[in-house]
Amino acid sequence: MSAEINNNQFTQAVGSADEINELLRRYGVKFGIYKNGTFKEQFFPFDPIPRVITAQDFISIEKGLVQRVNALNEFLFDIYHEKKIVKDGIIPEDFIYISSGYLAQCEGITPKNKIYSHISGIDLVQAKNGEWYILEDNLRIPSGASYPLIARELTRIACSDAFTENKVVDNRNYAQLLKDTMDNANCGGIRAILTPGRYNAAYFEHSYLAELTDSVLVQNDELFVEDNILYHKTYSGGKTRIGVLYRRIADEYLDPLNFLPESLIGIPNLMEAYRSVNVGIINAPGNGVADDKGIYYFVPKMIKYYLGEEPILKNAPTYLPFYSEDRKYVLDNLDKLVIKDVAEAGGYGVVFGNELSKEKLSEFKETIIAEPRRFIAQEVIDFLDLPILDNGETVMRKADLRAFVLSGKETKVWASGLTRFSRNPNSFVVNSSQGGGFKDTWVLSR
Amino acid sequence: MGTISLEHSDRLYWLGRYTERVFTTLKSLQSLYDQMIDKSHKYEEYLAYFGLDNVYENNNDFIKKFLYDANNPNSIAFSLERTYDNGIVLREEISTEALSFLQLAKDTLIKSKNSKNTRLSLLPLEDLLFGFWGCIADNVYDDEIKNIIYCGKSVERLDLYLRMKYPFNEVEKAFTILCKNLRNFSKNTPYRYNTKYLSDLVEIIGTKDDYENNSQKAIFSLEHIFEEMKVNI
Repeated sequence: MSAEINNNQFTQAVGSADEINELLRRYGVKFGIYKNGTFKEQFFPFDPIPRVITAQDFISIEKGLVQRVNALNEFLFDIYHEKKIVKDGIIPEDFIYISSGYLAQCEGITPKNKIYSHISGIDLVQAKNGEWYILEDNLRIPSGASYPLIARELTRIACSDAFTENKVVDNRNYAQLLKDTMDNANCGGIRAILTPGRYNAAYFEHSYLAELTDSVLVQNDELFVEDNILYHKTYSGGKTRIGVLYRRIADEYLDPLNFLPESLIGIPNLMEAYRSVNVGIINAPGNGVADDKGIYYFVPKMIKYYLGEEPILKNAPTYLPFYSEDRKYVLDNLDKLVIKDVAEAGGYGVVFGNELSKEKLSEFKETIIAEPRRFIAQEVIDFLDLPILDNGETVMRKADLRAFVLSGKETKVWASGLTRFSRNPNSFVVNSSQGGGFKDTWVLSR
Repeated sequence: MGTISLEHSDRLYWLGRYTERVFTTLKSLQSLYDQMIDKSHKYEEYLAYFGLDNVYENNNDFIKKFLYDANNPNSIAFSLERTYDNGIVLREEISTEALSFLQLAKDTLIKSKNSKNTRLSLLPLEDLLFGFWGCIADNVYDDEIKNIIYCGKSVERLDLYLRMKYPFNEVEKAFTILCKNLRNFSKNTPYRYNTKYLSDLVEIIGTKDDYENNSQKAIFSLEHIFEEMKVNI
């Protein structure tokens, strides 16, 4: 199933590496990173050799992702209303209420069109046997779409022949998909993207998407809620109603009157406007309950429960130490598994058992026994290495794929995605915050 | 979009000011460099325009620090960094394309530092700034946004021309452009002009003699041009 890149295209891409990276510099494709308390803006290392997905593979991935995201949206509605899935014993209630992503303040809220996860970033890996596995669902503020989007635009300038010879689905419709998604959630007013500011790691993305979707890029001090309506303050003393807010700040900071009172980047009473369906929030607050690493285990069960269908895409084999049978397996096989702390993200809190000393392994076992709900354990998938260019040499590295699923009038999968790779030959961790780079993802049209 | 926050209006205004500061400083340094080819220590007069002390060792030290020293608030490197700082938070208003010209300008200035021919290596920087202004003219469809940027640009140009005692016809042109921008602001914006100071400027820049005798007063009037005094000149 794995797609082969033809030699000609491969050579062209490699030959254009410098030009493409120069163009990415020119257009300011950066991300911010804090190291030792200091903010540094750096260019996101781009590898010009694309990940290629065949048309046939994509059809199956697309179906699987649409199915998964539709089930997750059903789950979110259910959890914040009747909780039938808990009552029916499919998911133990511990996993709902202990999750830091569950927000009691969202109980009973039904957003416009009943959509909670408008933009879902689903992380997948392809195993060496060609099978795709879901690694993680990101339903809060998944980032990264802008990078392959602009990289494609620039690669088409730097190495246009590669696109003549290979029929690649054009991915430059992302802005339109996003705009349509925002419009579908719009409760009357302008589109706005809420950023914590220039010193956020993904600021390039916030500003670039604002430009492409013709949205206003705003910070909290430019916004206020009056009579349960969200407004943008203008420099002439006026106000403009906001109908949809694509927020790029975490739930707990969104509204100091409803969540963390110490938040300096939130908008007081935003939740009242949202609850009154006077503003759409993309993605809905409270989505964290569905992309919690513990809940991940139950997503295939959700698909069966809500949709009555067999899951098309598989989860990576996962164990929950919460269940005694699973806990026994995890403790017996800890040195072969990867353990994830459900409270962590961005590649942090991930421990590979085979990298731990005997002492550490036994310490870790104690921690698991003491806090079984805090961890999940997964089999290490021997996932497909992808070629990357390293100082002129082609080397093989681990890579994942973040696919973007947009839920508007219909649920659509963007025919592209962010392929992140590890630059360290011994690492499975691909996150940009940990030094990883990115590739474009080509979906072949035939 | 059609909605501009106070923070963004301030950024837009300063984007215009700093871009113009880079451009006019660059032009004036090019001209000074030309004069220094056959004269020595010409730069003291230039420093005096801005009331700056002469802390430079020689012509070369002055030129290098005024061009490349990012810690010197009078340098092109410093102003260009401020231009970029303002531009980076205005991507959706000014366009990625316009912003790319500022990144290229920064890269060009850095590259020029190691060039054997400073003047020649700086010519592309002027081209890039023209490119930037072309993008603003072409890509920014909201006239209000454009007017704030242009207002900053014309305030800065007039301010520098007055300080550097530019010829009357140049100052007159710069002032006419500023007046056009100011007229486009409605009363409740921070950019609404103060009638008294605008009248003073009209009087001073009315004739060549008045300009030559009262340029200091003109600088003062320009500093107080905005009615609400909310705009930091």
